[in-house]
Amino acid sequence: MIKIEIDGNTVKAEAGEMLIAVTDREGISVPRFCYHKKLSVAASCRMCLVDVEGAPKPQTACSTPVMEGMKVHTQNERAKASQQAVMEFLLINHPLDCPICDQGGECELQDVAMGYGSDVSRFTEGKRVVVDGDIGPLIQTDMTRCIHCTRCVRFGAEIGGIMEMGGTGRGEDLKIEPFLAKGIQSELSGNMIDVCPVGALTSKPFRYELRTWQMNAVSNIARHDLVGSNIVIQTYKGKVKRIVAKDNDSVNETWISDRDRFSYEGLAHENRLLSPQIKVKGEWQKVNWDEALEFAMHGLVDNVLNTGEANKLGALASNTATLEEFYLLQKLLREAGSENIDHRLNIKDLNNTVALESNIKLAGLEDIDHALIIGSNPRLEQPMINHRLRKANLSGASIDVINVMEFDFNYRLNSENIVAPNQIALLLATVLKLILQASNTKIPDYLSKVEASDMARQLADGLLDADNSVIVLGEHMVNNLQASSMAQLINEIAQQTNSTTLNISATANSMAGDLAEFVPGKGGLDANAMLATDLKAYILLDVYPHFDFHNPAQTIQALNKKDIFVVSMNSFKDQAVAQYSDVMLPISSFYETSGSHVNIESEVQSFCASVSAPSNVKPAWKVLKVLADLLELPGFHFANSMQITSEISNQGRKQAVNNKAIDIKVKRGVDVIWQKSPYAVDALSRHAGALQATKIGQIHSASMNKATAKKLEVTENDNYLGVPISISESVANNCVFVNTNKSTGGEP
Amino acid sequence: MISGIKKLIKDFSLGELRGGLKITAKELINKKITVQFPEERTPISPRFRGLHALRRYPNGEERCIACKLCEAVCPANAITIESEMRDDGTRRTTQYDIDLFKCIFCGFCEEACPVDAIVETQIFDYAFVGSREGSIIDKAHLLKVGDNNEQMINDTKLEDAKYR
Repeated sequence: MIKIEIDGNTVKAEAGEMLIAVTDREGISVPRFCYHKKLSVAASCRMCLVDVEGAPKPQTACSTPVMEGMKVHTQNERAKASQQAVMEFLLINHPLDCPICDQGGECELQDVAMGYGSDVSRFTEGKRVVVDGDIGPLIQTDMTRCIHCTRCVRFGAEIGGIMEMGGTGRGEDLKIEPFLAKGIQSELSGNMIDVCPVGALTSKPFRYELRTWQMNAVSNIARHDLVGSNIVIQTYKGKVKRIVAKDNDSVNETWISDRDRFSYEGLAHENRLLSPQIKVKGEWQKVNWDEALEFAMHGLVDNVLNTGEANKLGALASNTATLEEFYLLQKLLREAGSENIDHRLNIKDLNNTVALESNIKLAGLEDIDHALIIGSNPRLEQPMINHRLRKANLSGASIDVINVMEFDFNYRLNSENIVAPNQIALLLATVLKLILQASNTKIPDYLSKVEASDMARQLADGLLDADNSVIVLGEHMVNNLQASSMAQLINEIAQQTNSTTLNISATANSMAGDLAEFVPGKGGLDANAMLATDLKAYILLDVYPHFDFHNPAQTIQALNKKDIFVVSMNSFKDQAVAQYSDVMLPISSFYETSGSHVNIESEVQSFCASVSAPSNVKPAWKVLKVLADLLELPGFHFANSMQITSEISNQGRKQAVNNKAIDIKVKRGVDVIWQKSPYAVDALSRHAGALQATKIGQIHSASMNKATAKKLEVTENDNYLGVPISISESVANNCVFVNTNKSTGGEP
Repeated sequence: MISGIKKLIKDFSLGELRGGLKITAKELINKKITVQFPEERTPISPRFRGLHALRRYPNGEERCIACKLCEAVCPANAITIESEMRDDGTRRTTQYDIDLFKCIFCGFCEEACPVDAIVETQIFDYAFVGSREGSIIDKAHLLKVGDNNEQMINDTKLEDAKYR
């Protein structure tokens, strides 16, 4: 700690810290444009000039390290005069179009010009005009307004990981523009809107809609991924109009993914389910809530509860439900006498799951020195986790990847190992054997015949050499025939090498499902078993069969069987749902209900409703509570969702234990890995127009290599299971990687 | 004593009455200052703030760019604006309502307007008949007022410009 003097007051500072960091902490205002606390220092705008005693000229506070005894004046004549001079220069080429600029009212340049600008311009020459290009459906550009602070360029290079924006030309001809004509495609691109201090980059879906002062800002949590990014919802007349990031260093820092930022558009989609409906003699009738809930209650009572077949009632929920919704639905089922509860809808074999603890904090990911990522494309699937891994990588961590195809990582990998899905377990076993050998531990029998390979040796060395490593298991492995073995091997490897593990195989609010014990209890059936047996009634919570199940066709068929009473609670209309349901209850979507999200580090983040749902749409927890009351079940006296949250025990989630023997035999045949594309993970994102128009939103392909194509007797022009084939040698042999945003017939 | 006698004489000789009749007789001959409204009108200052109007550019394009500064500055919250991007990419209003019951005719909207779109005209003898809704005038109405009175608006603004 050193002492410096700012404006006559003595303050403490860390040696080497930049002056602006000290003034920010002390609440002394120093104007700035190019400085951003999470980006590198550019010192290009010169706005933060302050007077440092002893220095011949004013110094930029953002690039001046503090020194013991330094005397700084931020408000004296010299500082003021230089700041005013810089302001005048910046305004020379800035257009006077604040009235039509979307940044007006939240513009840093506008604010600073109020304090440091002159009211009359002395500049009479022509102003610079820059012609805009279209850089994609998310960001609107007005580059004439750009003041060349290069925050967006630095964001791309340092945070986004691809330098999509850059400066071309020099001096007055300097232009900030995307290098490539294809525009901005990063999954974090929306953050450029937040960092831009002027109106050069603004939100395209929000263009010209409202001024900032018209909106209310409410905090909320984004539920699209395992992070639960903190966001601020900006609302106007009860509608979500824009979403921006909220700072939380332990969760999302200052960034959010585009999915979190732009998915709100789905809320106003015409496809919303807006009124309760019941099916009478095969015809849908719009009714009021009382009638619909009575109908649902009678259906459940007549079909299962009164006939003494409570165990023929099942409940399935998608991973977008809140913790409270999961809890109430499982409580309803258990009180009614059924243990048929499940939220793991996309797993083929629920006795063979990737049961693995996550035992590392999000912020802790930055401190690792080695990571082994298995079966994941974290950049698109979990953008904020990928961002942390990238930060670790930039500060020296080596990252090995075992994947079924090459993905576009935005950091340098130590090695990218493309392995067929049926050989990954064997590879992990080999790695484990090498690790055991290194510590002279006894080799268990199942590893005795495993032979070391160069790839395994290199992966084992990576883990052995590291002090603080993490093993990440991703979504691609959930339906692997050896999923459970893989999880056990990883556990074993992690124990032997003192590594932490991170299980990102299920996304959205799946951690809440586990915490609320929304899984079958003793004697209960899991999702697959339910659909395979003859249940007589279902309660489905926000389930869309074409997207949420691993076998849509079979699921729809099972639910369409005669004499099954299906209560569906959905926020969006869906044809298949209308086909098999007997009652459809419209429930609130994201941001319209209170509840909690549980993120990967088991942090429960509660949120309030930011807007009210459309008039006839109710929060699911209220619907479930009333339904339980109608069924005369005890223990549902909740007045608000907080009471439910506090009832949920804080024991922490129980991990399913793998008792299966480890199986590392290489299975024959072609493996299909079926992935929802990143912007199709939940109903809200699927209905968000701008997101769907992006390159990532349009991902829809079945990738395989030539040999696999030959084996399957297909060519590049064919469709595989309804998805266009793309032939690429970057895919492992005997593997089809399907990444789709469309509702399809599903995999075989 | 003397003043008492003077008053007595004045009272008994009807002095007050004669004084009053003298003014009446004078005004009988003098020029009248009352005006026969609405046939006759008194002069109005160019700064008079009457009924609002939305103006157009000479080429017919509406001036208003939906910046909503008038809405923000209005102390009576009398203005309601909704905006969108018009097909040609420009920023325009889809709704521009002024509630004349709420309006206090302070002229702040006119002051705030960066493009001189919203102005207060010299018109004060407008009336709305019937319902409460009649007091809310919409964008079409405001533009019509502007179109019909462009010459008057132009003249008064020009006249006032030299004092601003």
